[in-house]
Amino acid sequence: MLSSMLQVLILGLALGGVYALMASGLTLIFGVMRIVNLAHPIMIIAGAFVAYWLFRLYGVDPILAMPIAASVLFVIGVALYKLVFEKEAASAKYSEMTVLLTFAVALCADGLLGALFSNTQRVTTPAYATDAFIFGTVFIPKGQAYAGAISLLVIGALLAFLNFTRFGTAIRATTQNRAAAQLMGVNVGRVSLITFGIGIALAGAAGALVSFIFSFFPAKHWEWIAILMSLVVLGGMGKLVGAILGAFLLSVIAAFVGTYFGSTWSTMTFFLALFVILLVKPEGLLGDRQEEA
Amino acid sequence: MHELLEVSNVVAGYGSGPAILNGADLDVAKGEIQCIIGPNGAGKSTLMKAIIGLLPIRSGEIRLLGERIDRLRPDQILQKGIAFVPQERALFPKMSVRENLRMGGYTIRNETELKRRIDDVLDRFPILRERASQHAGTMSGGQQQMLAMARTLIVRPKIVMLDEPSLGLAPMIVKQMFDIMHQLRDSGMTVLLVEQNAVVGLKNANRGTVLDLGRTLFSGPAKDILTDPRVRELYLGKAAA
Amino acid sequence: MATGLGVSDVLKARKNYNEGLASTGRRERATWFPLVLLALLVLLPALQITGGHNYTLHLMLYAMMYAAMASSWNILGGYTGYISLGHNVFFCIGGYFSGMLLAYFGVTSLLTAPLAGLAAAVVGFAVGLITLKMRGPTFIISSIALLMVARILFDHWQFVGGSNGVTLPQMDIPAQWAKLPYYYSMMVVCALTVWASYRIKHSKFGLGLRAISQDEVKAESAGIDTRFYKVLAFAISAFFVGMAGAIWGEYITYLRPNIFLIILVAANMVLMCILGGKGTVAGPIVGAVVLIAFNELSVTFFGASEINLLITGLVMVLALKFFPAGIVGTLARKRRLPRVLDWD
Repeated sequence: MLSSMLQVLILGLALGGVYALMASGLTLIFGVMRIVNLAHPIMIIAGAFVAYWLFRLYGVDPILAMPIAASVLFVIGVALYKLVFEKEAASAKYSEMTVLLTFAVALCADGLLGALFSNTQRVTTPAYATDAFIFGTVFIPKGQAYAGAISLLVIGALLAFLNFTRFGTAIRATTQNRAAAQLMGVNVGRVSLITFGIGIALAGAAGALVSFIFSFFPAKHWEWIAILMSLVVLGGMGKLVGAILGAFLLSVIAAFVGTYFGSTWSTMTFFLALFVILLVKPEGLLGDRQEEA
Repeated sequence: MHELLEVSNVVAGYGSGPAILNGADLDVAKGEIQCIIGPNGAGKSTLMKAIIGLLPIRSGEIRLLGERIDRLRPDQILQKGIAFVPQERALFPKMSVRENLRMGGYTIRNETELKRRIDDVLDRFPILRERASQHAGTMSGGQQQMLAMARTLIVRPKIVMLDEPSLGLAPMIVKQMFDIMHQLRDSGMTVLLVEQNAVVGLKNANRGTVLDLGRTLFSGPAKDILTDPRVRELYLGKAAA
Repeated sequence: MATGLGVSDVLKARKNYNEGLASTGRRERATWFPLVLLALLVLLPALQITGGHNYTLHLMLYAMMYAAMASSWNILGGYTGYISLGHNVFFCIGGYFSGMLLAYFGVTSLLTAPLAGLAAAVVGFAVGLITLKMRGPTFIISSIALLMVARILFDHWQFVGGSNGVTLPQMDIPAQWAKLPYYYSMMVVCALTVWASYRIKHSKFGLGLRAISQDEVKAESAGIDTRFYKVLAFAISAFFVGMAGAIWGEYITYLRPNIFLIILVAANMVLMCILGGKGTVAGPIVGAVVLIAFNELSVTFFGASEINLLITGLVMVLALKFFPAGIVGTLARKRRLPRVLDWD
């Protein structure tokens, strides 16, 4: 009994790392630009497709493909920001406008990926995806262990970048008070552009890892939107550390729910959690109550 | 011979809304304290936002030492030498006093130089040195205004623009604030401020400008503005009597 | 630099300025227009006397359904400013409510549609009590989560057939006239919705909703019970969508979660309102007609639903970027709105 609970806990934590990476870009973009990016999950799926085709066509290991997926998605992110979001900064109903735009972008990307690759289930199958580390009665699938560990590495690098570099400081300042950052000499337009790129690149990186731990297809992103939002809202919108905590917490809970009540309810955990958090503590674990402008 | 800052015939507004500034003019000379007064909605804050580049202007010109700055971004205008403290003070609430001052010197890439300047500023504001590691969001209104002003000094700007620095502050703190402004002027800096309390503002200024309906109506020595019968009737009310 | 203005000049200038900001008076309403439109819609099925126009009738029914749903969405999304991306949940509830009555008791949905609307409204009211505590982006997210929850529930609820759904009995009518009961029912629903939308917009209730959409805190301090207003708007908005769902379910003769609970249905409602003009009375109708016409063309040329999704997304991006006020809104702003479309 105890060892089976330990087993579930470990699986939950490993997935939690990946969820944290999936949510990090979303919360980063919201923090700096106040854009709720509904297109984030479809970008993760785009990243998964990059890894998938590199693996299928050239046998590239999805972990090695991660930087490539991230770079491709960075370019897409920058282009998307330039084309769609850059001019919206002056819009009167900014948050409503941008969320509708990201919704529309998600529809486009969903339709495009569906038309190109069809909505069949796919997964990359490197050797470690079907192997496991075994410690006595407890096992960890290698794929999930690697994915979780690499996610934590990437998140660590991101935190270091935000806290110890000049550009990272500019990003944090813009997150706290955009106008003030501007008055301090921060070019917030450029910060927004790069941050959007980084956020989408993080989605791409997560996608490469997702490609061998979940089966994926374009239309799956609608389900992920609600999952990722629950993590981000739990942590406090725009709070990176909060999102990471939220990811681990919900992932572990979902793992237990999944084990004892079946996998349907595991997904449901996130959705119901979202409602409960929004009801009980809408500002999230680490968030402060913000006034809607 | 150019004035330090020249604003001529500026038209500006928010989004696609009506113009708030309808041909505003302003001349600011080096080493003066100039106070802009006017009724609510006259466009005083809007004028400051237009100067600093937060609000794009629709027509007109803004020049600093003869050079046009009206197409530049706020960060570029800061580098040219104009610093701005908006009404809401624009501090980083989750950063300490020292970190806020560091942000004030964001454009200074030389670390030792930045440290030296922060030290200079902390010398000038002992109260901030005491609270150097306190979060800005937890300080009193007066201290926050002090920090906001101190922060602009890190980059040693040519002009400091203050939008209603006395807003919500006790009279004694307001007096301190103006004392600091006088010190700044005496050290060669130029101060441009907007004041809702026109009488107090003008009494502490060298020059005054009256803005109404987005236009400049009067401009001249602060003393003259204070005594002008038209200004008294329209803008100063009984308080000035 | 003191100008020669005197005191009286300044006061006069201020008065003129203020008058310039006030909007101009209202024009006469073209009440004949909706009546003529309705009369044409009533007479349209006469085409079937010669036969062969079933597809035209289908298309008109489809357009009326979406005009009703978009108008209904507009009460919450346009007037009140709460964007719901999961509004098809109520479409689904309506469809299943009446569909189950039909499947188990044999009562036609055309009679039970108002009950289905009521069921959707009750659910909307309950959900609204929870989700309308949130504002802006958070509300939007909650609406997507609602859709996901509903999808999981309906996919696994065996009583209503799970993900396979149920097939509904058909009415025993010759094919030539088979569409008519549904056509006229949908017409009634559509007319009712648009009429309600118009009445709400011009009521004190509607004024309250618009105040909420502009600044909720101020609306509340002005004495509006914002919570009740919002929840009521949500319930009303769910009501008409539910009625449309009831009729649609029997019309297409089967119920399945992946017909009612796909994001495209919600996206269509939103997009129609944006295209036509969010918050205007005529906008959602114009948007529904334009988008359905456009979809007809794109399906003819490209087929496949994925491409349709892509195009819907593209149209939405373009509309948001270049026509954020929509057709009706933009024309009104330019004072070029034809009188027949001016119902605001």
